[in-house]
Amino acid sequence: MNPAIQAPAAAPHKLPTVALQAENVSKAFVSGKQRTQVLDGLSLHINAAELTLISGPSGCGKSTLLAVLSGLQKLDGGRVLALGSELGQLDMRALEHFRLQHTGFVFQGFNLFPALNAFEQVELPLNHMGMSRDEARQRARASLEEVGLSHRMKLRPSELSGGEKQRVAIARALAKEPELLFADEPTSALDAANGQMIIDILHRIARTHGTTVLCVSHDPRLVVHADRVLAMEDGRILSDQRNQAPVSASKGTP
Amino acid sequence: MVALARKTLIYEWRRFLPAMLAVGFAGLLQLLQLALVLGIFGSTSLYITGSSADVWIGYPGTQSVGQGRSIDGDVESRILMDPAVKRVEPYIWVDGDWRGTKETGGVSVFVSGIDTSAEGLMFSRALPLDLRERLNEPDSVVVDRSDLDQLGVDIGGTATINGRQVRVVGIGSGLRALGGVNVLCSLETARHLDSDAEDIGPTYLVAKLYDPTQAKAVAMRLRGDSAFGPYTTWSADHFAHISVRYWMFDTGAGAGVLFLAGIVFLVGAVITSQTLIAAVNGSVREYATLNALGVGVGALRRVVLEQAFWVGALGLLGASVLGVALLLLARGQNVPVVLNLPAALGCIVLVMGLAAVSGLAAMRSLRAADPATLLR
Repeated sequence: MNPAIQAPAAAPHKLPTVALQAENVSKAFVSGKQRTQVLDGLSLHINAAELTLISGPSGCGKSTLLAVLSGLQKLDGGRVLALGSELGQLDMRALEHFRLQHTGFVFQGFNLFPALNAFEQVELPLNHMGMSRDEARQRARASLEEVGLSHRMKLRPSELSGGEKQRVAIARALAKEPELLFADEPTSALDAANGQMIIDILHRIARTHGTTVLCVSHDPRLVVHADRVLAMEDGRILSDQRNQAPVSASKGTP
Repeated sequence: MVALARKTLIYEWRRFLPAMLAVGFAGLLQLLQLALVLGIFGSTSLYITGSSADVWIGYPGTQSVGQGRSIDGDVESRILMDPAVKRVEPYIWVDGDWRGTKETGGVSVFVSGIDTSAEGLMFSRALPLDLRERLNEPDSVVVDRSDLDQLGVDIGGTATINGRQVRVVGIGSGLRALGGVNVLCSLETARHLDSDAEDIGPTYLVAKLYDPTQAKAVAMRLRGDSAFGPYTTWSADHFAHISVRYWMFDTGAGAGVLFLAGIVFLVGAVITSQTLIAAVNGSVREYATLNALGVGVGALRRVVLEQAFWVGALGLLGASVLGVALLLLARGQNVPVVLNLPAALGCIVLVMGLAAVSGLAAMRSLRAADPATLLR
C-alpha cells in the first residue's frame, strides 16, 4: 500500500497517487427471499487526478460500486479508503460531512430543481458548506463560466437543453472544489455532440483541477476519452486498460 | 441562502395544490364539526350560560340542568344569610306536553319558570327586557323562532301545556334546546303548569354574588347544610360543565357525534398526509442529490417542514374564509354553531401538526431508498 494514502490531502498538488481504494468489497441486495450479489470480493484502486471510466453492461453493479466508493452506500464486507479515510468507520453524519467537503456528483438525470435558475442550483450546496454569501456567489459564477454557461445563469432547467442541464450539474459539483468527482452515466441521456462536450469537460477538470474523476457508463463513446478504462461484469473487474500515459501523473506523484 | 422551499412552492404550485386543498378541507371539516359540537352541546347549558347567576342550588346528584328535582323553598333564606350573596331567585323547570291547535301531535317541551323582573338572573343574556315584561301576563309564554313550526303556533297563538292553556306572547332567539323545545314563562305560570303534586318547591335556586370570582368558594361554603332538606350547590361554570359532559359522554347522541368527529379527523389526516407525501416525493431525487453532495438530512428536513408549513398555512387561510362564510350561513338558518378562539386555535394546531408529521413521513422514503436506484 502506498503510505501516502494514510493522510487525507487538503490541496490537489498534495494528493496521494491513489485517491480511492476498495479491498475485497462485497455488497448484496435482498428482496424478499431473493438475494442478489452485486459486488463480489472486488478490489481496485483509482489514481488521483485521472479520469477513470468503469464500463460494463447495465446491471453489472457499476452504479453500486460508485455508490459504495463515494460513501453513499454501506458495505456488506471489505473496506473502502477514500482520501485516506475508511468510509465504513464513519457514521451517517460523518459520511455526510465527508461528502460535503470532498465529493461532487453528476447523474444521468441531471436532478436539478425545476424552480431554481442555473446560478441558484450551483449556489445551493455551497450555502451548506459554511462559506460566506459572497464567496458562494463568486464560486458559483466562476464554476458556471468554466462550463461555458456564463450567459445562461438566470435560466431555469425547463429553458435549458439537455447538454446545458448536465453542464449546470457539473458546475454544481465543481463549485464545491471536490477532490473526488463521481459521474454516473453522465452522457447517456445526451446526443453525440453534447455527450462529447460533457466528457471533454470532465477530462479537463481532472487535468486542470487535479480532481479524481470516476465515471461509470455503458456509453462506448467515452472509452477513448478516459485515462484508464476498467471493464466490469457480474460484480467483478474483467480488464484494466490505460489509454495513454496519465496526463496528470506529474501532478499526482509526491 | 437560496430559498428552495418557497421557490419550489411558487414555481410548482400545481404539484402542491392538491395538498393545500386537502389540508384546507380537512381543516374546514374539523372546524365546522367542532363548531357544531360546541353549538349543539353548548345549548344543553344555555340555561346557565344564558343567565347571570354565579351559584346554582339544586337537588344533590343532578346530572344535567334538565334533570333537577324540587328542593325546599326555605333553602333560599339559608343562602341569603351568606354575606357574599347579593340576590337569590327560584327557577322552576317543568317537563311539559305541548298540544297545539294545528296537527302537530304532542311535543315534549321544557318549561322554564323564571323571575320576570328587570333584575332577574335567569335568561338575562338571552331574553330581552320587553319580552320578560310580557311574561308577567298570566299563562303567557315565549318560544324560540326556530321552534315555531314544530310547535304549530305563531305569535299570539294559543296551545295547551299539560292540559292548561297558554298563549305565545313573544318570540326569542338563541333559546333552542337539545332533545326538546324550550318554553319560557313566569314563575307563577310555571307553578300552574306543574302537574306533579310532589313538587313542593322550586327546581333550582340561583344566586348572584357581589364578587362573581368567588363563585367556587361560596358554592363550597354553602354546601352540606341539611337543615332544610337535601340540596347541593355548584358554581355556574361547574354546573354548565357537568351538563355538557352529561350530554356528550353519557348519552347516545353525544357518543355518536364524538365518533363522527373522530372519523372526520381520521379521514382528514389520511388525505392530508397522502397528498403532502406525494407532493414532497416529487422532489425526492433532487433531495437525494443534495444529500449525495453532503447537504445533511437535517437541513433537507427543514426545507420539507417549511414547505409543509406553507401548504398548511395557505390551506387553512382558504378554509378560514370558507369557514366563516359557512358559519354565517348556518347562523342564518338557526343551526346551532359556536366557535371560540381556543377551539379555532386547537383546530389550527391540529392541522399544522398533521402537515408537519406528513412532511416528515415523506422524508422517511428518502432515507429508506437505495441511492443507486434513486440517483440516476
